[in-house]
Parts: sequence; C-alpha cells; structure tokens
Amino acid sequence: MSQENSENPFSNYGVYEISDQIELSLPNTIIKIERIGENAFSYFRQDSEGNITEKMIPAKSNTINIEVAPIRPLNHPARRTGYIFLQFDKEIYLSENSAASIFVHCPVEIGLFLIHNSHRESLDWVTCNPLNSRFGLYGTPDTGTLCKYAEVSLATDYRDSIPYVEGVMKIVIENTLNTGQTVSKVIFPITDNSLYYEDSKTILDGIKVILRKRAVVSIADVSIESAKTDWTKSPTWEDTTVSTAMEMGLE
Amino acid sequence: MPTEFFQNLGEMEIVGGLTVLSLLIGGIIMAVGIIVAKIAKLLFNKYYAPTLSKDTAQNIGKLIYFGIIIISFLVFTSSTGIDLSGLLVAGGIFAVVIGFATQSVVSNLISGIFLMAEKPAKQGDTIQIPDMSITGTLLDIGTFSSKLRKFDGTVIRIPNEKFFTANIRSLTVSTVRRADATVGIAYKDDIEKAISVIKNEILVTMPFILRIPEPEFRVEELGDSSVNIRVLVWHPKDDWSQAQPILLTTIKRALDNSGIEIPFPQRVIWEAKD
Repeated sequence: MSQENSENPFSNYGVYEISDQIELSLPNTIIKIERIGENAFSYFRQDSEGNITEKMIPAKSNTINIEVAPIRPLNHPARRTGYIFLQFDKEIYLSENSAASIFVHCPVEIGLFLIHNSHRESLDWVTCNPLNSRFGLYGTPDTGTLCKYAEVSLATDYRDSIPYVEGVMKIVIENTLNTGQTVSKVIFPITDNSLYYEDSKTILDGIKVILRKRAVVSIADVSIESAKTDWTKSPTWEDTTVSTAMEMGLE
Repeated sequence: MPTEFFQNLGEMEIVGGLTVLSLLIGGIIMAVGIIVAKIAKLLFNKYYAPTLSKDTAQNIGKLIYFGIIIISFLVFTSSTGIDLSGLLVAGGIFAVVIGFATQSVVSNLISGIFLMAEKPAKQGDTIQIPDMSITGTLLDIGTFSSKLRKFDGTVIRIPNEKFFTANIRSLTVSTVRRADATVGIAYKDDIEKAISVIKNEILVTMPFILRIPEPEFRVEELGDSSVNIRVLVWHPKDDWSQAQPILLTTIKRALDNSGIEIPFPQRVIWEAKD
C-alpha cells in the first residue's frame, strides 16, 4: 500500500502492515504504533485538540495490519445521534416538477481498524476538523431531532473531496409539487450511508430527496442512493468502549 | 419412626381441617417458591435485563418475582385445603377496619400502581421535585415508595403518595436543554463587540453547544454599574456538565482576551459646595 506521496505530506488511507513501528501523519494528528514486546504493540495518538490516547495491542503474530479509512462524522465530540444536518452555503431553487443533481462536501472522521482474520475491528477514531464538528437541532426542543450539524459547500464532482476532512456526496432533489421550492438544508440518518476512499479522498453514498404532497402536507422523502465507484469501501466503525458488566458476586 | 412422626403431625389439627403437616408442606412450597422467584429474577437480571431499557427490565423483573410468589401461594392454599371464601367474607368486615388503620400504606400502594401506569418519569431519568427541593436520578418506583439518587450520591426514599401528587420536572425528557448565564460589561465598552467575542469563544471552545438554535444574547438591564447581557445556549440533554458549569468561565475568558471590562459595583458621589 502506498504510504505517502510527493503531493500529499500526510499518510494516505489504506492498509498498513506493521512489523516494528510506524508513524502515521494526518492533519494536526500524529499516530504511532510500535512493537513493545514479542507479541504486543503500543498505540499512541495525539489529535488536533491535544488529546492523547494510548493503548496496548496484544498480537498473535509478528506483524499486525491496520486500516486507516474515512468513517461517518458521528463520533466527535461524543456519539449522540445518527442524524446529520447539512446546511447548504447557497440555497437551491427548484421550479415546479423539476429535478436537480448536485455534489456537496460532507464532513468525515477517520477510523483506525485492526485487521484480524480478514475482518476489521474498530481501534480508534480521530477528526481532523473538530471546529466543524458540532450539533444542531431539527425541530422543537421537546420533540426535535438532535443531529450532527455542518455547513457545507457545493462540490464539482466526486474528486473534489477535501482530504481527511470532507468527502463528496451526490444529492438528487426532485420537486413533484406544483410550486417552486427553495432548499437550504437536508436532514437524514447517515448511519446507512457507506463511505469509499482512494488515497486521501472520500466519497459517500448519496441521497435522493423527493419533495411531494402527502394529503395536505408537503414532505421531503429521503432515500439512499449507492455511489457507483470502484474505490475501496470503508469498514463500519463501531463503538467498542461500551462497558460490560463485571460480576462481583451473587445477590 | 419418621412415618409415625408425620402421621402424628397429620393428625394434629390447628383450625378448620388445617393440620400441622399440611402447614409444614405449605411452608416448604412457599419457601421453594420464594427461592425459585429469586433465582428467576437473578437469572433474568443477569442475562436478559442488560438488553432492555432499565425501566422495562425493572418492571419485568418484578412481574417474574411476584408472579412466581403468587403462583406458589395459590399452590400452598390448594395443597393445605384452606378455604379462602371464609377469609373473603371476613375480609369485608376487616377491610373497613384495616382500611382506616392502613390508609397511608394503601394510598402509597395505589399511587405506586398509578405511577407505574402513568410513568411521569422512567428509571434512569434525571428529575426535579420543586416542592421538596430534590433533584436526582430516579432509581426505582417501588410498591410503596420511590427512590432517587441525589447528585451527592445519597439515595432518598419518597413515599409514592407524595411522589404522585408532587410536581415533577423532567430534565432529560427533551432532546436538548438550555444553559444560561448573565454577565455585566462596562458602559464604555461596545455591546456588539462583546456579544461577538463571547459568541465566537463559545462556538470555538464549547463543542457541545448547538449551532442550531444559535447562542442567544439579550441585553437585560442597564444596571447600576454595568450593562448586563444574558447568554442562552442549547446543548444535548445528557451534556449539561459540558455547558452550564463552564459557560461563565468561557464568557470571562472571551471578555478578558478582548480587553472588555467586567466592572465592579461602583457609585459616583457628587460633593455639594456651599
């Protein structure tokens, strides 16, 4: 796997085989993995906010394999929701019975996976742009939906991804109403959208938004549209820090 | 010898056909029933409860426990041949007497049933009872009383009757909550600039503060010594500790860094001349 190239001073996404030590460099983030014993490696990460995480990784063989891949932007500052609120920097106007297809930048986080018997185990995650990783509320405080919030700009195509920070998502908006509509934001659960990577760039599965009438109410139906690409699909990052019950005796 | 012993016990009648032996067997049935109920509840709590919500797990646990005990009691009464119809007739007379004597106990029991049915708060919710000045996490709604763990770690027991009739403020039922703080700036300083630097500092350094709705600023008072600005910010319901306790610190840091004065109380004294 290529590790770094002349244009990009940072480590690319991909699989890394570690036999002795490695230092991965991401924007404002340093990750070091090194052997500390016959069958053990140490993991060190310092992120853009100065937080340090250290772990020990017991290994069954002399080498370990790590995959660095983009993941959904749901973990920083804490996992609270599966929804994302994308606020467009420019509104999109759709006249009656029309459709538009746009590309937008969508924030991503970076996951580190330990490859074990060909399946990926979630080891750690980082974000290289914590300032654009905030929450927003869609609806009222009592019944609304908490979302990860991001102000996003339009992208030209799939290759317009901003390395390590933002991927590109295709959004198809169809207006079946008999009046023109202005769209300034989309809110949807991002938990089923897959991510794909090549070098340091990311593509996300797109969404299709259909503005239509249900009885007397105008609604927006959102469905996932898989991205057609041959880029590598990212593994799904799962929270492994859930505490397990420790039996202290019988009641 | 043991056979004779049991025969003797079987012949020793206590009252209305109830013998010592049948009472002994009934006692064993009840004891086994209680042990089985405890084991069933224990196994449920260990293997199934962690996959359910705390509230549901607690209620199902109670249903299993008391269900087995009630079945044991029915087996006990049928094995001993106790006729409950007499008790029911007598119960009519005693009910009035007992009703007066155990008014508060029954009231707590009925309130407990209504609390479980209405569910004004679930187990694990953070609630406030303003009438009693109590704030804490609801641990359990029991048969006669409810338990709350206060933030200092102590557990307080509240009779269900009082809990049911009290005003209950739920702090975790909404998706988001609001934190607020008031700060005074000097009259000579620019209000717009002060709001701008505070807002920027909050959005940059407090990751749990929501971007939508945006932080809100209200000039509340032209006070004796300062222009008082109230700052209101929203945060996810579970992250109060990442908002309210550090909000004032963030505001002060923002004002300090931009050279905006937070004035002390001051009074201008004019001295009259003859």
